[in-house]
Amino acid sequence: MKQNLSRTFWIRVAAIAIILVFSVFLFFIGKQHTVLVDNKAVTVNGVEVKALQLVEVEVNSLGSLELAARDRDKFDVTGQKHKVTVIYTDANWEEHTIVRTFRIPLMQEMVMILLPALVADPEGDQSLWLENYELPTYAMTAPAEEPVVTDDLAVLSDI
Amino acid sequence: MNTEKLTSSVKGMMKSFGLPRIIIAVFLLVLFILAPFVGVNVGTSLSDTLNRFGMNAVMVLAMVPMIHSGCGLNFGLPLGIIAGLLGATISLQVNIPGPTSFLLAIVFATPFAVILGWGYGQLLNRVKGGEMMIATYVGFSSVAFMCIMWLLLPFSNPTMVWGYSGSGLRTTISVEGYYLHVLNDFLAIRLSDHLVIPTGMILFFALLAFVIWAFLHTKTGTAMTAVGSNPIFARASGINVDKVRTLSVVMSTWLGAMGILVYQQSFGFIQLYMGPFYMALPAVSAILIGGASVNKASILNVVVGTFLFQGIVTMTPSVMNSMIHTDMSEVIRIVVSNGMILYALTRKTEAVR
Amino acid sequence: MTLHMTKTQKVLRFMGNNTVPILFLIICAFGIPLSGYSANYLISEVVVRIARNSFLIVSLLIPILAGMGLNFGMTLGAMAGQIGLIFISDWGIAGIPGMLLAMIISTPISVVLGWWCGKILNMAKGREMVTSYIIGFFMNGIYQLVVLYGMGAIIPIRSNALVLPRGYGIRNTVNLIGIRKSLDNLLTVRLFGIPVPLVTFAVIALLCLFVLWFKKTKLGQDMRAVGQDMEVARAAGIRVEHTRIVSIVISTVFAGYGMILYLQNIGTLNTYNSHMQIGMFSVAALLVGGATVAKANIRNVFLGVILFHLMFIVSPMAGKNLIGQAQLGEYFRVFVSYGVITISLVLYEVRKKRDQSLAGLVLAAEQEETV
Repeated sequence: MKQNLSRTFWIRVAAIAIILVFSVFLFFIGKQHTVLVDNKAVTVNGVEVKALQLVEVEVNSLGSLELAARDRDKFDVTGQKHKVTVIYTDANWEEHTIVRTFRIPLMQEMVMILLPALVADPEGDQSLWLENYELPTYAMTAPAEEPVVTDDLAVLSDI
Repeated sequence: MNTEKLTSSVKGMMKSFGLPRIIIAVFLLVLFILAPFVGVNVGTSLSDTLNRFGMNAVMVLAMVPMIHSGCGLNFGLPLGIIAGLLGATISLQVNIPGPTSFLLAIVFATPFAVILGWGYGQLLNRVKGGEMMIATYVGFSSVAFMCIMWLLLPFSNPTMVWGYSGSGLRTTISVEGYYLHVLNDFLAIRLSDHLVIPTGMILFFALLAFVIWAFLHTKTGTAMTAVGSNPIFARASGINVDKVRTLSVVMSTWLGAMGILVYQQSFGFIQLYMGPFYMALPAVSAILIGGASVNKASILNVVVGTFLFQGIVTMTPSVMNSMIHTDMSEVIRIVVSNGMILYALTRKTEAVR
Repeated sequence: MTLHMTKTQKVLRFMGNNTVPILFLIICAFGIPLSGYSANYLISEVVVRIARNSFLIVSLLIPILAGMGLNFGMTLGAMAGQIGLIFISDWGIAGIPGMLLAMIISTPISVVLGWWCGKILNMAKGREMVTSYIIGFFMNGIYQLVVLYGMGAIIPIRSNALVLPRGYGIRNTVNLIGIRKSLDNLLTVRLFGIPVPLVTFAVIALLCLFVLWFKKTKLGQDMRAVGQDMEVARAAGIRVEHTRIVSIVISTVFAGYGMILYLQNIGTLNTYNSHMQIGMFSVAALLVGGATVAKANIRNVFLGVILFHLMFIVSPMAGKNLIGQAQLGEYFRVFVSYGVITISLVLYEVRKKRDQSLAGLVLAAEQEETV
């Protein structure tokens, strides 16, 4: 008995441990997040920063989106580490490009990038222009009652 | 000394009756006791239970002949139900309103039941040992086949066919004006505002049950029981095993046809197409709850089983809903009925099939 | 009784052994021209179905090897796979990692369910198929208890899109947009204008190789021995009950993975209905391929998928063109699906009796000779 406990048992424990670690790894690399990009006037450290007239944003290489003032759009991404590219034209008609990498907290479904804050301080820490976002509960207007269909005779549907 | 004997005999009784059945009976008792405390009227509940008892009892009775002759649990009950549906639809097509339509339905259903039952019996005789699985799929295939037929058969009564096209039967057909409640209201006893006993329906069941009981005590009936418990001995005694088995299947099918007619007159609707698809399972589990096994069943099993099963189906929604405001009745019904069948299938039986 | 068979006898024998596939070939031969579908459309549809369903059907092979008959209890594996998918949908894991994670989650659930199912089947020897059929229904009740009442209440589910408005219980349909076609789209090749998901086929091929290899291992040989004769196997020292349970466990685990593959192709989870249908359709497809209750191999799987799904696809249009109602075609294909299982079961029993009586006759003849 003691001998069995040594070999087969430990190999099995090791296998389960490897699978658990692998599962956690999968969780990390597969987790989906939504990155909102917002072009609204925002207050940073007590200073009011105006929205940009026109700005082009791209996260990773998902295709660039154009936002006018007070626009908001979103990107769906997988994983935690991402790159944002911002191209805008400032008051002197000069074009600037900012490229920053940022990290999304693992358990956070949605985050928002405040573009004016990013543009105002391109080298600043991501906490200045990246904030966590929660869906307001009043936005959930689900129907009052959704009947659950447990119809065994759904054999006529397509397989 | 005496208490020892008592406990051992009680234990013996409990073992033979089976733990699941005791749990179910106690559960039903608890539900009835709880009912008045949660605002559910006991009179209405009893009345509902009796009503459902009458509706389903004949179909449960249909299980008895085939269990006796060793053909196992009749999962192919839908075949008998189809015979009954044919009788009902033809009776409505002939269009004689009133209680006569019920008698007509019985008259029309019988030849179908006999023919279908005979064919089914012949099939089962060739597959001894695997009857239950094949019965299930014969039942399903015939329901699916009839779906095609209900669309094609030339019915014309406007209450039965689709409005626009004028051909093809509707999914549910009302029997109002024909034989709605024809048995229920016959000699109904009204005990109080809430408690009504559908005497006619129960009398009809009692009549059929008596006929079956009497039959099982005749020479052919005893032969049937012999075939079920020991086919080799039966054959050695000169009994034609195949003929007796076919007879039991025909009886079972005919009772199934009667059963669906009784059900319809109380329910108020004829359910076609996929309606009969899963109707065998409640009947099978009801008789098993009543104490039957795969090769042994009595009329007492039918009565007790149907009452317990329908009691649970009636009481759980109302009581549980008032208590925890959740309708778990569907889930409980699935777990109880299938759990009971599982229990029966895993018992070791005398005649190993 | 001569051992030599004439040519006609050989042909009749072949037809008798392969009644069901031949019947289906005839149905398809009539149905395809009636439906009016182009060959291109049909072939691409069938390719999709093969990629979608084969894994599930292959999972049925091992219990047949072990003499357990048609494992209707694969429903349990399907339920485990679905529970895995519900969790990864809630956690928002997408793509291949999502699929793999769902498979990992489903595995212990499948093992437990399969082990329990095997134990019950051991208590009902001789009636395995009916019992596994009822087990499927019973577990459906437990599944509803967990998914319709437990999830959200006792088991924490955060996503509002998944949970019913009343606060607990999963909705009727779960959108699997995260993992939709994630395996299929990994590597899709266009052959003659028909998209072929190579990686999915590679996975199915791997499973087939596994089954072939498994049959040669000691465990596989044990199962075959148990399938042929339990008492002889027991006398040879094989742990019969344990082997039977293992066969069901393996089948259930693969059914779970197969269900995940199936659902990643469809993209939507029909929470309360998918698993119930899938058992019946997989069994029907296997039987159409020429398998019997006692004997099934990989050939039967693929032949069955092609024939069964061809019939399934052409029936509604064929019904519409023939009689004018597509509904008729739909009922027809349901009837054919159940009918084929009925015929296969009947043929199997009849042949078993005939073989038994033949063996008895041969034995009697031998005894007469010695006397």
